[in-house]
Amino acid sequence: MSGFSFYIALWSAKAAQVALRLLRRNGSYAPGKIALTICPEFLTRIGRPGTLIGVTGTNGKTTVSNMLCDIFENWGISPVSNRLGSNVDAGSATALVAAATLGGKCRKEIGVLEMDERSAARLFPVLKPDWLIVTNLFRDSMRRNAHPEYIASLMEKHIDPSTRLILNADDPISSSLSPLNARTLFSIDSPPSEQTVRDNRVQDVQICPVCGEPVTYDFRRYHHIGRAHCTVCQWRSPEPDYQLISADADRGTMTIMESDVWHEYPMPSGEVYNQYNALAAVTLLRSMGYSWVKISGAMEDLKVVQSRYQSEEIGRWRLTASMAKGLNAVACSRNFETVADTPGKKAVVLLLDDVFDERDSSENIAWLYDADFEFLNDPDIVQVIAVGVRCLDTRLRLLLAGLERERVIPVPKASDAAAQVDLSACEHVFVLFEVYRHGQAMEVKNAIAERMRNE
Amino acid sequence: MKLEYLYPELGNLYGDSGNILYLQACLPEAELIETHVGDEPAFVSHEDVVFVYSGSMTERGQGIALEALRTYEKALRERLEGGMHGLFTGNSLELLGTSITEGDTRLDGLGLVPLTARRNLEKRYNGLFLGNAEDIEIVGFHSRFSHASPGEGLTGFAAVERGIGLEEGCKYEGYRFHNLIGTYLLGPVLVLNPLFTQRIMQSMGISGEPARFQEALAAYEARLRELRDKKRKLD
Repeated sequence: MSGFSFYIALWSAKAAQVALRLLRRNGSYAPGKIALTICPEFLTRIGRPGTLIGVTGTNGKTTVSNMLCDIFENWGISPVSNRLGSNVDAGSATALVAAATLGGKCRKEIGVLEMDERSAARLFPVLKPDWLIVTNLFRDSMRRNAHPEYIASLMEKHIDPSTRLILNADDPISSSLSPLNARTLFSIDSPPSEQTVRDNRVQDVQICPVCGEPVTYDFRRYHHIGRAHCTVCQWRSPEPDYQLISADADRGTMTIMESDVWHEYPMPSGEVYNQYNALAAVTLLRSMGYSWVKISGAMEDLKVVQSRYQSEEIGRWRLTASMAKGLNAVACSRNFETVADTPGKKAVVLLLDDVFDERDSSENIAWLYDADFEFLNDPDIVQVIAVGVRCLDTRLRLLLAGLERERVIPVPKASDAAAQVDLSACEHVFVLFEVYRHGQAMEVKNAIAERMRNE
Repeated sequence: MKLEYLYPELGNLYGDSGNILYLQACLPEAELIETHVGDEPAFVSHEDVVFVYSGSMTERGQGIALEALRTYEKALRERLEGGMHGLFTGNSLELLGTSITEGDTRLDGLGLVPLTARRNLEKRYNGLFLGNAEDIEIVGFHSRFSHASPGEGLTGFAAVERGIGLEEGCKYEGYRFHNLIGTYLLGPVLVLNPLFTQRIMQSMGISGEPARFQEALAAYEARLRELRDKKRKLD
């Protein structure tokens, strides 16, 4: 019976895929959903690619997955991927259905599946990835993820012993995962010029993961990312196998040391968090045995996906739209810090409200007090425009971060946001947006661009 | 005047440190003391500690905080009975109860209040809350793995109007122990409830308005409207 239900599931999903293709809806995970509804053990039965790479973690997993897919495609390998779909079980099922023959065998050599860390129980035991990149573990939505220690314990329960891990040595939480699994670690060295202590509101590793005594940071890049040790027990951050030792923003290159040899690679984006993403991809590919020349060549044309980051010059202004992720204090803080570190007078438009709660509930805004809005209290930031139904909460948070009333403008409707930007007072306008507000953010960005062109 | 933040390295999980941020803004003259695990709490020897705070923590953090605080249970009880104010938000309210159980494991609380907590890591409750304390409407958020049963003599903090209290079916949320409030509400409870913050300040003998009062009231009233709206989901 289960064999029969598997084939019914597969063929139904394939039929749904054809129908969706005709309707030009390639991003749907409905085929996978159909397959899992008909055959709940579908993921254990469907053919896997020869090598399956999983990419998970709180931040950066989409970027890393996209980089890997682009690199494989550059090499002429078309991987199984869920880049257009979702990162939960239905998304993986959809990707595997697309790559399967009518008999359920996988036609592809390589698979790159982004995997939601909260869905570890439903993904890891059935898909058993050969390689699993864990970019980092931070606080995320408290409703789904509770806290990073909880997510780490959940992942650890379900990571298969055969899975080889690619881990961030600068993250004391994710680098401690499944200690018996084979692993390769990456890190970014701290140059003397780097500010070693960032004053973040959230710092989730302050006590030793082993003995509970306070940890000492040799340096802390942001939040709990850095190198730490315990002065009471022997615990310390693990040594990296691959270390980014320098980054040249002007040339767009990064130098990575491995086994006392260094290689230079193109750097797709200059922000430190994107350096981590590129480093994770390089570490995986080198660990799989690909040569640095081959990897480097394929990275020449890599770009961070446009839906996440766009920046352009318009007249005498620069206009940047960047995905910041609502409910995710760390992702917002990274963006706020980038804005603060960008030279010149700036205006910031925030579209961070949760889309789903806005419809029929009321958002839990506690996360605003984990996010470092204090970075926006910078004299060069002339305006912060808080957009959306939660604009009064965001305004209050900004005032408590020290901004003066005059600099904070609450705007309930997104359609009114662009008109509030004081173009005469700034050189650079940032639009920071929640994942599901991409369309709305583009409308705001386009309206600002229009004003810039007409000035 | 001193404010004490107990174990900020543990009790800062869900935006709870927003309460300290707000207290500092409301009481700019007060000195903030952050007490870390292993340090003697300031309330033990400093009579001018007028407010003690603890926030949401991980399950492991609860164990560490309890062990750190157990030595000072008597002093904490005496200071609270003597009128010191306090706020324990999120699951830190369980520290002052009788016990926290999870399956077969049991963690003894400090036993200041008759409250037994049960933790279930397989089931997380997320929801919004609307209640009433001292004729002031209280708004807030729950996101928790545990629920607690009140024992005889426990004084509730806020009567439940919408959402759940200490446990499903309980008519009140949180508890009061003299001038200390324990509540499962998490995050910036004081910021979200400026009228109640003002009441706490008055009880501490501080006149005037909380910081950014008009803006805080505007946000509070907007949330009240949403939580009163029966068409909106609470969990």
